[in-house]
Amino acid sequence: MKKKRVLAIVLSAMMTVGVTACGSSASSTEGSSTGASSDTTAQAASSDASEASSEAASAGSSDGLSYANLKLGQDYTDLKATITMFNHRTDMDSDDYGGKNWKSYLADFNKEYPNITVKITTDTNYADDALTHLQSGDYETIMMIPAVDKSDLSSYFMSYGDLDTMKTQINYANAQAYDGQVYGVPSTATTQGIVYNKKVFSDAGITALPKTPEDFIADLQAIKDKTDAIPMYTNYAAGWTMGAWDAYIGSNAIGDNTYMNQKLVHTKDPFQNYKDDTHAYAVYKILYDAVNKKLVEDDYTTTDWEGSKSMLNEGKIGCMVLGSWAYPQMEAAGKNGSDIAYMPFPITVDGKQYAAAGADYSYGINVNATDDEKAAAMVFVKWMTEESGFSYNEDGLPVKAGDTKTKLAFDGVTFLEDEPAKEGEEDYLNEMNSESELNINAGGNDKIQKIIEHAANGDESFDDIMGEWNKAWDDAQQTNGISVDY
Amino acid sequence: MTGTMEQEGKRSRSGFGRWIRSRQGQQLLIIVAFMIIPLTLLIVFTYFPFGEMVKFSFYKMKYATPIDKRKFVGWQNYIDVFRRDDCFGALKLSLYYMVGALIQLVLALYMATILSFKVKGGNFFKGLMFFPFLINGIAIGFIFKFFYTRGFVFDTILAWCGFNPENLPYWLKDQAVNNWSLVATSVWRYFGQNMVLFIGAIMSVDAELYEAAELDGANKWQIFKAIILPSIKTIVTLNIILSITGSLSAFEQPYVITNGANGTGTYFVIMNQIAHTSQKVGLACAMAVVLLVIIFACTLLQKLFFKYVFRDAESEDESYKAKKARLKAEKAAAKAQKQKGVQA
Repeated sequence: MKKKRVLAIVLSAMMTVGVTACGSSASSTEGSSTGASSDTTAQAASSDASEASSEAASAGSSDGLSYANLKLGQDYTDLKATITMFNHRTDMDSDDYGGKNWKSYLADFNKEYPNITVKITTDTNYADDALTHLQSGDYETIMMIPAVDKSDLSSYFMSYGDLDTMKTQINYANAQAYDGQVYGVPSTATTQGIVYNKKVFSDAGITALPKTPEDFIADLQAIKDKTDAIPMYTNYAAGWTMGAWDAYIGSNAIGDNTYMNQKLVHTKDPFQNYKDDTHAYAVYKILYDAVNKKLVEDDYTTTDWEGSKSMLNEGKIGCMVLGSWAYPQMEAAGKNGSDIAYMPFPITVDGKQYAAAGADYSYGINVNATDDEKAAAMVFVKWMTEESGFSYNEDGLPVKAGDTKTKLAFDGVTFLEDEPAKEGEEDYLNEMNSESELNINAGGNDKIQKIIEHAANGDESFDDIMGEWNKAWDDAQQTNGISVDY
Repeated sequence: MTGTMEQEGKRSRSGFGRWIRSRQGQQLLIIVAFMIIPLTLLIVFTYFPFGEMVKFSFYKMKYATPIDKRKFVGWQNYIDVFRRDDCFGALKLSLYYMVGALIQLVLALYMATILSFKVKGGNFFKGLMFFPFLINGIAIGFIFKFFYTRGFVFDTILAWCGFNPENLPYWLKDQAVNNWSLVATSVWRYFGQNMVLFIGAIMSVDAELYEAAELDGANKWQIFKAIILPSIKTIVTLNIILSITGSLSAFEQPYVITNGANGTGTYFVIMNQIAHTSQKVGLACAMAVVLLVIIFACTLLQKLFFKYVFRDAESEDESYKAKKARLKAEKAAAKAQKQKGVQA
């Protein structure tokens, strides 16, 4: 009896010890092994990268594998290679895609380079999955560079050449550059403006595109009076479509490409009325006025993003304030793609209009690929950029330096590319966003939604809202100890 | 190695060793041995994270802030919770959900009582009313977004009933009604679950009691009041406490249907926004702790309240009044005795 009991205790004790020990040892070994492996891969990758970059730097002229020296149609025409590409355009996989799909791009490419086979995989959850692919160490020859730290770019991707040379070849060379080397060539570039239905605008008797907030509101009023369309659709319920308004308060509203990432954090009362229809005040005022004058949809709380695309396409909506990335989607959403157009944001600074422009996803080439694959990938990237017409077909801004072909009707508008934050101040905007809870360009959708609510209910004036924001901003500057310089 | 162990064993055998071999010691050992796994799990996955959360509530930090850069701010986060009008303003919305919860419980109790007697197609109705609880909360959100859209399902139904669609309010836009719309969704979803719980409890009541009551000429209301309600009071109390705490932490409906915009942001939605959009983790943790205290207080108050309400049912063989009278009599008797003693 006693023996049995002792046995039972010993057994149970052993089991518990066994279980806990098992758990802890397993987790610890797992942790250490993954840590070790990631370390080694990182090391291996970085050593590879340094080799590759030194190779590229030294062999740049002799070997010829640099973006600038590559001559399309002359070099590597007899190269036989199979490469893979991973990207986010799932819609372009389909035969029903309204524009030119991947299949036809590849067919065109193979006319020139019949021996290079490109296999394209696409993914709806690209941003996350691409990072997983990179971390696994086994990734495609060409990738759209996901959100990796710039200092890690060289561990994953080969350099196209040094920054100064690349600037003569492409626009937005800065987008994926680190330490004077360029690791990504943008697939296309987007800008900020307003996507609108040309037919609705002409039906309303609008002949010239609006250039000031006043003109724009008058045009919306004309649409309301003369057509059945909703002048401007807010897409309030989707949330992120509201946060999109923040994208206009920098270059578009001020004409200064250092404002967004450098000056804003040091500005006192950035939401004040500058009394010249510029700055953030004018941008948000357009929204407030449009809602207040009932120039938006009747019931904004039940808007439907997917449905709004076809409504714009069919002329039931006049315009929507969204980045130019939305333009091709609106065209593809129905039969009237030719009615859709894209116009600059209606703010004029000292007689000139500006638009913020930035690179979309960039092509990066796997640094661990074989030399033949790298060469083939480089050929494909350069062909996509210079000869495929991809950025034109996708309604983007030209990537090839000196190219001006684009479908965006931005005559006389100066494109500005936002400068990065000053060294040592990279975190300032994040700190300010968090402290002030305004979350500019960082998911601050609720503040814009509140503008609409107050405008619709008429329970708070626009100046009061901006006053609150100014106070939140100034308090945050004080709390964070950020100097007020402007 | 073995030598030292033996020596140690000998030394401890005198005190601890003997105790551990005793019946008491063996009992304790077994209890500890069997409890250690669930306790470890509970502590590691519940109490330790909770402790961390309480710790975070005293810091100013973001999710990604490294440990050495988190700033200790004392009670500042708690002071902010009480100073900010959005935090406690959001708690006012819980009142809507509490009213909804009460309506939901009354409705559930009514349906449960009816359905626990013989009703034609009773099981069909039970299934029908329980069904919403089985649907995923996110899906319900999307269903009701369309349901409430201007000129869609709800407006059409009301138009059939003769309402003029022009005079109907905007169910989600109008701030006077939008919280009621969301509460209605919540009632629609959870009332079936409450009802099933009530039916289960009512089923356990001895059917002979009904028979006896009917023989005595009691009507249905009297049966409900005298037999059913006292018999299921535990489950009623439980359901009310769960519904009230649930309404304090309402989240799903406003989050999915309106994103918490347009004056529908409940405490949880605001907390989520502060923690994840603005990354004020410390403040959000403080909000969570404050809510926990509030829920504790509410539960305690309810317990006391029900103790009072069900005081008749609590005492097994005598009613509250009888007990009170008896105690009073005893007290008086004791007093008289005492006085007698003093006199003597």
